[in-house]
Amino acid sequence: MPQRALARILAAAATLFVVIALSFFLMRLAPGGPFDSERPLDPKIAENLRRIYRLDLPLWRQFLFYLQSLAQGDFGPSLHWRDFSVNELFAHALPISMRLGAEALSVALLVGGALGAIGASTGAGLRQKLGAFAVDAAALIGVILPAFVIAPLMQLLFGLTWRILPVGGWEDGAWRNQILPVATLALPQIAIVARLMQTSLRDVLAEPHIRTLRAFGLPPRHIYAHALRAAILPTLSYLGLAAANLLTGSVIVETIFGIPGMGRYFVDGAIGRDYTLVMGTVVVVAALVIAFNLLVDLAYAWLDPRIAESASR
Amino acid sequence: MSRFILLSPARAALWRRIPASAMLLVLIALACIFGPLFTSHPFDRVYPDYVLAPPSLEPSPNASEARDAVEELAARLGAKIVSMDSTGDSVAAKFSSDRTIDAAALAALPRSDRIGPPRINSSGDGGQNVGLNIPLLRTVFPFGADANGRDLLTRTLIAGRVSLAVGLLASLVALVIGVLYGAIAGYAGGAVDALMMRIVEIIYALPFIFFVIVLVMVFGRHFVLIFIAIGAVEWLDMARIARGQTLALKEKDYVAAARALGASPAAIIRRHILPNASGPIIAYLTLLLPRVILLESFISFLGLGVQEPLASWGVLIADGARNIQGALHLLFFPALFLGATLGALQSFGQYLQAIFADAHVGLESEPR
Repeated sequence: MPQRALARILAAAATLFVVIALSFFLMRLAPGGPFDSERPLDPKIAENLRRIYRLDLPLWRQFLFYLQSLAQGDFGPSLHWRDFSVNELFAHALPISMRLGAEALSVALLVGGALGAIGASTGAGLRQKLGAFAVDAAALIGVILPAFVIAPLMQLLFGLTWRILPVGGWEDGAWRNQILPVATLALPQIAIVARLMQTSLRDVLAEPHIRTLRAFGLPPRHIYAHALRAAILPTLSYLGLAAANLLTGSVIVETIFGIPGMGRYFVDGAIGRDYTLVMGTVVVVAALVIAFNLLVDLAYAWLDPRIAESASR
Repeated sequence: MSRFILLSPARAALWRRIPASAMLLVLIALACIFGPLFTSHPFDRVYPDYVLAPPSLEPSPNASEARDAVEELAARLGAKIVSMDSTGDSVAAKFSSDRTIDAAALAALPRSDRIGPPRINSSGDGGQNVGLNIPLLRTVFPFGADANGRDLLTRTLIAGRVSLAVGLLASLVALVIGVLYGAIAGYAGGAVDALMMRIVEIIYALPFIFFVIVLVMVFGRHFVLIFIAIGAVEWLDMARIARGQTLALKEKDYVAAARALGASPAAIIRRHILPNASGPIIAYLTLLLPRVILLESFISFLGLGVQEPLASWGVLIADGARNIQGALHLLFFPALFLGATLGALQSFGQYLQAIFADAHVGLESEPR
């Protein structure tokens, strides 16, 4: 088990290094530098600028310097918001994005899990049929209504027509401002989690050990408690992917609802060719996702003893 | 009716089994490819008089718009309207003015989208009392017009061409990379396979949309680049499927026979394994298409994809989101086309998958 964890951690570190290297060299491939403008700079000034930003060094030394400053937690100055360093922007934006993501993930797990659990119960009753129907409907909506269609529609309905929720803005995280963004982020994940829970719970409920519990005459509540522990595994292994999906979704959601989070800085940075900001975002986002995947991996091994056993054998 | 005469009963039954999703897809594709030829609007033609016109099958201008146009014409000529009589395709009007209304004055008028150049029927009092024949331009905007006064139907169809083309090309890029990678890993087996699939597993978790956007940002927002970038990040699942197929197929006797006859690994993969693995691969390709189309729309929605005046469904939906108050049609029609395409592709892909699952050759089902 510790060996396996160590291997995972090493792989995660290697992945992060590859991401950093990839984005660094991609940026340097870009035609034109950050100091190109309509009016050519005085050659002396240009030379000084290049020296200050160490752009005159060979590429591999620039890379080493970047790694060094990253190790000290320094992402460099923003090229677009001249008065801020990337760190200052992130200090404000990262908590907002993480809060949105965590809330959306919790909502998706709760609602999606409940939907899936109801949809998994087989039988001819109305409740079972409604449950299965709800899962199918959620899956269909998840496919045909992307976030960038749902979000404007919700703005129109709740913000403009009924006037019960703000159309956008953050207001330092007032709960009213969070409802629509979190709902938009969570909806596609609800569809996926519901489907995952439905199929796996159905499979587990058909297994012999559950039949044994039924034969003992245990109440359904207890049977479900036993079944859920096994049925949660596919959802758990999806969580890593969900983190990536949520971060992707946050780009859209933050842009539409005007929330000053990482996603919005990323898009603004990409449009304004703010290389340090975009690179910093990619590194932070990748680090987040990799760390989350690592956690999921370790939790999986802890929940499913078969994995630890097969690794030690 | 003729198809039942042309086709044998067995063929006819097959025809009826083609799912509705496939027909819907063909319909959307045909509409996008050939539709713009028949909409009578170029996709980038701007009609300043019809900015944000609502969708309607009635030709514009309608009666009241025609009256507005004639009143505007009179105001520009500094004339009063004595009488006005609409006769379907044109308006016969009598103007009186202090100034002379003649051909030169009419020629100096700005172009209008609602009325054609007026002709003088009768002229009296030295051109101060004229009878004009004003032809009405009949244009139809079935989906309405956008914020620049461009026909939304034509733009939706043109955008469909772009979205479908990017989707197809990017899926092909993903197909080539993924199948090559997966087939090599599966055929090589052992440590090579373990290493190659471990790499796939590691990069699987990365939020690749960020890389696509970085690629697009660094190398410019070119059409070709967008689909190559998307294809280059969406090949992972394809590699898994191709590997699973290859693993199962390489144990078959005919592969052993080919190997015994001295065929090279490349030839075996190309001649024996890939053709037999094509079913599940095609099924997965169909499921990949909606993801790729969605990704392209996503990028274009953010303003980082296809550039004006060209559009994709993502660009149009972004337009619609900006004008959602008062002009819902700008969001509705592109979103309808995108949603229908995504849903139909998903459903058709699942249908294909179900077909090939019957004849499948041990597709592994490891959890992701």
